[in-house]
Amino acid sequence: MIESDMAGTRNTPDRRSLLQSAVAGSTLFPGIVQQLLADSGDPLAARQPQFPGRAKNIIFLFMTGGVSHVDTFDPKPALTRDHGKEIKADHPEIKDRPGYERIFLKRPQWNFKRHGQCGTEVSSLFPNVAECVDDIAMIRSMHTSHSNHYNATLGMHTGSFAFSRPSLGSWVSYGLGTMNQNLPGFVVIAPKQTYAGTQVYASDFLPGAHQGTVVVPGATPVTNIAPRVPVSRQKMELAALRAMNAKHLQSRNNDSLLSARMRSFETAFGMQMAVPDAFDFGQESEATLSTYGLQRNQTTGFGWQCLAARRLVERGVRFVELIDTGSSGNWDAHGDMMSHVSLAKNVDRPIAGLLKDLKRTGMLEDTLVVWTTEFGRTPFNNTADAKGREHHPWAFTSWLAGAGVKGGMVHGATDEYGLRSVEQSVHIHDFHATILHLMGFDHEQLTYRHAGRDYRLTDVEGNVVKNVLA
Amino acid sequence: MIRCSSKNTWLVIVPLLIMLQCDVSGAADDAFFEAQIRPLLIEHCYRCHSGKKTNGGLALDTRSGWQKGGESGPAIIPGKPDESLLIQAINYESLEMPPQDAGGKLSDVKIAALTKWVRLGAADPREEVEHLGGMSLQEAKSWWAFQTLPPAEEHPDPADVDRFISAELASRSLTANARADRRTLIRRATYDLTGLPPTPDEVERFFADESDTAFATAIERLLKSPQYGVKWGRHWLDVVRYADTAGENTDRPLPHAWRYRNWVFDAFNDDLPFDQFVHMQLAGDVLPADGSPQKMSEGIIATGYLAIARRFGHDIDKDIHLMHEDVIDNLGKNFLGLSTGCARCHDHKYDPLTAEDYYALYGIFSSTRFSFPGCEPKGQPRDLVPLLPQTRIDELTQAWQQRNDEAVAEKNRREQSTTESRNRLKEQAATSSRVLATAAVGEGVSVSFADAERESLKPFAIRKGEVLQLTVFPNDGHGADSTLVDLQITDVGNTDRQWNISDVIPDLLSGNPHQASHGAVWCFLEVTDGPKFLAERQDGIDGHADLSAWRFGDTPSIFVNRSNEPVNVWTSLPATSFFVHPGPRRPVAVAWVCPDDAVISVSGRVMDAHRSGGDGVAFRLEHIASSESGAALVALGQSQNASDIVVEPSPVVPVAYAVVEGTVGDAALHKRGDPEQPGDSVPRRWVSILGGDVVPEGAGSGRRQLGDWIAQHPLTARVMVNRIWQWHFGTGLVATPNDFGSRGQRPTHPQLLDYLATQFIASGYSVKAIHRLIMNTRTYQRSSDVSESSATNDAENRFLTRFARRRLNAEEIRDSLLAAADNLDTTVAEAHPFPAESTWTYTQHNPFSAVYETNKRSAYLMVQRQRRDPYLALFDGADPNASTPVRQLTTVPTQALYFMNAPFFHDQAARFSQRVLTAGGNSAKSEQVKGQQRIERAFGLLYQRQPTATEYAAAAHFLDQYPGGLQEKWAAYARVLLAANEFLFLD
Repeated sequence: MIESDMAGTRNTPDRRSLLQSAVAGSTLFPGIVQQLLADSGDPLAARQPQFPGRAKNIIFLFMTGGVSHVDTFDPKPALTRDHGKEIKADHPEIKDRPGYERIFLKRPQWNFKRHGQCGTEVSSLFPNVAECVDDIAMIRSMHTSHSNHYNATLGMHTGSFAFSRPSLGSWVSYGLGTMNQNLPGFVVIAPKQTYAGTQVYASDFLPGAHQGTVVVPGATPVTNIAPRVPVSRQKMELAALRAMNAKHLQSRNNDSLLSARMRSFETAFGMQMAVPDAFDFGQESEATLSTYGLQRNQTTGFGWQCLAARRLVERGVRFVELIDTGSSGNWDAHGDMMSHVSLAKNVDRPIAGLLKDLKRTGMLEDTLVVWTTEFGRTPFNNTADAKGREHHPWAFTSWLAGAGVKGGMVHGATDEYGLRSVEQSVHIHDFHATILHLMGFDHEQLTYRHAGRDYRLTDVEGNVVKNVLA
Repeated sequence: MIRCSSKNTWLVIVPLLIMLQCDVSGAADDAFFEAQIRPLLIEHCYRCHSGKKTNGGLALDTRSGWQKGGESGPAIIPGKPDESLLIQAINYESLEMPPQDAGGKLSDVKIAALTKWVRLGAADPREEVEHLGGMSLQEAKSWWAFQTLPPAEEHPDPADVDRFISAELASRSLTANARADRRTLIRRATYDLTGLPPTPDEVERFFADESDTAFATAIERLLKSPQYGVKWGRHWLDVVRYADTAGENTDRPLPHAWRYRNWVFDAFNDDLPFDQFVHMQLAGDVLPADGSPQKMSEGIIATGYLAIARRFGHDIDKDIHLMHEDVIDNLGKNFLGLSTGCARCHDHKYDPLTAEDYYALYGIFSSTRFSFPGCEPKGQPRDLVPLLPQTRIDELTQAWQQRNDEAVAEKNRREQSTTESRNRLKEQAATSSRVLATAAVGEGVSVSFADAERESLKPFAIRKGEVLQLTVFPNDGHGADSTLVDLQITDVGNTDRQWNISDVIPDLLSGNPHQASHGAVWCFLEVTDGPKFLAERQDGIDGHADLSAWRFGDTPSIFVNRSNEPVNVWTSLPATSFFVHPGPRRPVAVAWVCPDDAVISVSGRVMDAHRSGGDGVAFRLEHIASSESGAALVALGQSQNASDIVVEPSPVVPVAYAVVEGTVGDAALHKRGDPEQPGDSVPRRWVSILGGDVVPEGAGSGRRQLGDWIAQHPLTARVMVNRIWQWHFGTGLVATPNDFGSRGQRPTHPQLLDYLATQFIASGYSVKAIHRLIMNTRTYQRSSDVSESSATNDAENRFLTRFARRRLNAEEIRDSLLAAADNLDTTVAEAHPFPAESTWTYTQHNPFSAVYETNKRSAYLMVQRQRRDPYLALFDGADPNASTPVRQLTTVPTQALYFMNAPFFHDQAARFSQRVLTAGGNSAKSEQVKGQQRIERAFGLLYQRQPTATEYAAAAHFLDQYPGGLQEKWAAYARVLLAANEFLFLD
């Protein structure tokens, strides 16, 4: 049981817990230390879930700023029909807001069409993703508890709308460890920070080994990864260091605390090779690159992020989150919905490429792909011809694809205007419970003892959405 | 709450009545209950309605549970099954209980049994136990941590401490390690008390002292070092989750929080008695000061403890209950080792704390005015607390006024005349303006003057002093967009004479009015109500040095991109370009004052340069054919900028981010923690299990009393001595230092804990006295060797068979690297170089974010809540959002990467190697001797010892083999030595 293994590591820095080291198979290392490390309580050691989960890895696609559901994945003909009609709503974004005393329905700006065998409707903003609907479980009844970016983004990542709590990725890393010790278990690829900053991928009270490692698209995606002296020299330094440390260790009863740190240098050296390798697309074929809409040698863009995600998952990384923009210049279309055009164009082909590529390689069998945003956008505005839409926590669309997910289906529904989630509503806690279920965890059982209480991702809420399970 | 408190007398009376009633039929009813009802309740109801789990607030495992009932009221009315909610629910009439997922509706037989039981009076012999939160009252009153302390020893002796430890060792047949060697001891004590490595001098002095008191002497020296306060103050900052930003959605800087940080450091250095230390943090502003301004100011600064509470949300005031929770939660954990925050939504589930206790404390803090850090919808900080008495502030203000009266008056006179001339210019423009071109510019559209001409744009005559003006208006009163402007004026008679608005780009900030070639002048104006020169000079925008502006606030403005490259900000700004940006309802104009009579042609365009940013703009190009206008306009600009009147900046009164008394009143309980559901008002008082005293009428918020209650409770002393113990040994006698409640661990040596707490109080709450008592023990001075028996029988070292080896913490690592490089500045740091408050425009889209490098001690690094300092996060620094009682210590490869490739590490290693290479440069010595001395010096500086022969040989071999010159070889060797475990671990 995970809890009993790990409970209390925060407050009792005993030998075992101090040994929170990412260590594993290294050919350079003396056998004796390997043995010492065999039972090191390594938090990143690969471990079994509570029950066999269908998914072994997650790629979490986060669209920052609030994607309009009624313009993308949730068709609302009545909204077009009743465009300009005045409605009343006790909505958090218009309460006490000057100029918003009256609100009017605003029609979607893009046409929806049926796609695939299943006939799920998708708007013309996502023509490529539309081709993949047979692999997608579309959840049109999402809702959340806050209408601010900061709080809603924090909620979608940690289940908490105000306080810092461990991120979903950290919980997964805590529950399952990593399959490749030369790479972190939880990687976040983001061109810029999103709302709520580093809190969205923080391990918080979980052991620090579970915090997200940030990769910024570009020539050197990971901090301190590039050697500052030629590798031949670095090897000399590491050999001298190893000799000094070995002697130091010998006179200290082979203290595993010390050997863990020695080993971390071996792993770091491995990472120094493995990380650039994961981000070197040189061996990818032209066909693959084009699937993601990538040019050869391109090192930025969402296509790059998607292909990097596949390569990381391929190498055993448990949880890869892709953030498409950052806390500005994102989907937050108050001014004009037309900004959705370029933002959708930026991600549509890469996402479809990722799904197709995962399917082609068979990886979609055990990789769960999650697409979401922090909230939807209002189907109304304060004038009938306003160009933008406001924040909308009452309803939005997210989708799941891949391992354990029933493809080609739609779960839940909003009312005729997309104002409220009315059928089979899925709160973010339910969404989290479902994701953990797919990974092989009962969300009520994946807990961590902190400050005298057992914490979990879903707090005291959450129901698994069984309908979307294959 | 105690279920017998006077307010709920009815709860007590009712069961008495029932018991009387029950006694009539007596034993038979009890037998019926035991035979049929109890098993039924256990089987079908307890899962959701007993113990800690009381769905809907209903408990069915006690008599009082169903009497009090849940959210819908009492569950059973004895004798009246029809009116009893429970009976209705099991019949699926109102609620449906048990629900489908818990077994579904009961069988008819069972329903009949329950109905009969209720009809007969619901006899329920189950024992009543009074509860206080999560404990029975009995248990709570006898809880170990709340008990009084034993009497103090008159002559406390470290040997007393050793006796407690030895007794426990003996009872477990454990053998403790021998004393560590002297080199280990001086290194251990120096890091322990100052967070720094001992200098070679200090080591030498310690080695030279052969007396028995050598170690005690060293301890005294270290306790006197000002670096002691930095190290131990930082421990305290961990538990109070100190940060330099507010934590709300924009994570605004707290430019004055440093005063509290430094006060904490000073308090430890001065050995401020801990009870006073506690009291000042809660109520320093209202404690009777001795009248000295110094003391008054310190008292205010100390309350920074409360002010640095985390702020939440977009509009802090809307989530103020969360800030209060953060305060109550933190003071509970910090001072009392109790998780008080748990009682916000409901009574504590495990400890004797109730929701009423929580709201009793809440009232104290809602009666307090906290400094406000600012937030996105509410702008800049306010309610900062001045650190000077009002009389002194008045003196300063009066003196300033006297010195500046005349200048201020003159300034006012000029402003008056400026207004007059502005009005004149407005009139002139109105009467002599000829509109040349005008148009609306749609979203992302570019419109040339020719496209928009109203009259012919053919060359026209213009006289000296007349004005050509291009005005850009926001559309429909909205904020408008960044608007690109091209404007070229050519003297048709002499085409060498040309003026292009792009001419101003390289030196935009040289002036407004802006001198142009051939005597012409450009003016950049807001023209909402007559011309007004954009007066605020802004060099650099959003961190882009190539952008500069003349503006009023954010907008209206005119700005340029000087760079030869496009700059990406809110939109992509093309290379070398000129923009205007109207404000909401505030148009902007560019005016050109004609230098000589001429015939000119005008060309150019206006383009909405921020597609999707808003609603487009409109423009008007006009010729103001009044020859006085130009001169008057320039004169207006000059007088607006007049620099000959010097008004001193008004006197700066130092302020603290602190608290003062606010509007005093009790707080209402928030049902389920929701401020939208207020319950009864709860009198401000102390936690009931710890005394429950009430804040007296007229006593203000009650913080002063709260300070007394906390400072004087033995629990507070127990919690603090346990922390001191833990910060010396790695683990506390209570291994959960923030939790002395039922979910925490029991002390391994309860008598020792009480002994230390008693001596702490007897010493006048001297923290340094406890250091002496602890560090002079044999227990503290043991070696850290892990013997086989100790590894097996005391694996976690809870019985102190050895000293716990530890890795240096984040601050110690960085300080040690700087110290090795002889690059550490040990002087006191004050404020962080935050941008001036007036320039803040942080939003949740663009929150504050910065990392400030410093060579001062790492305890002074700027701590951000939303975006953790990457270095501190990497090496397990304290959590700036929650109390960190124990630093987590992880060993991860990304830390090793830091020691392999981080520029800071390489830099310090290079400096260290220089230090070694340049020392003792006696050229007469042979290279071999010099080489040997360098290695010795390096080992001495870093490890406080000489290299062994093998180590010397290995070093020489490495230096010989490593490619490059002496510098490169030594820089590489320095990296090896600084990355070694011997440098990073403390034995």
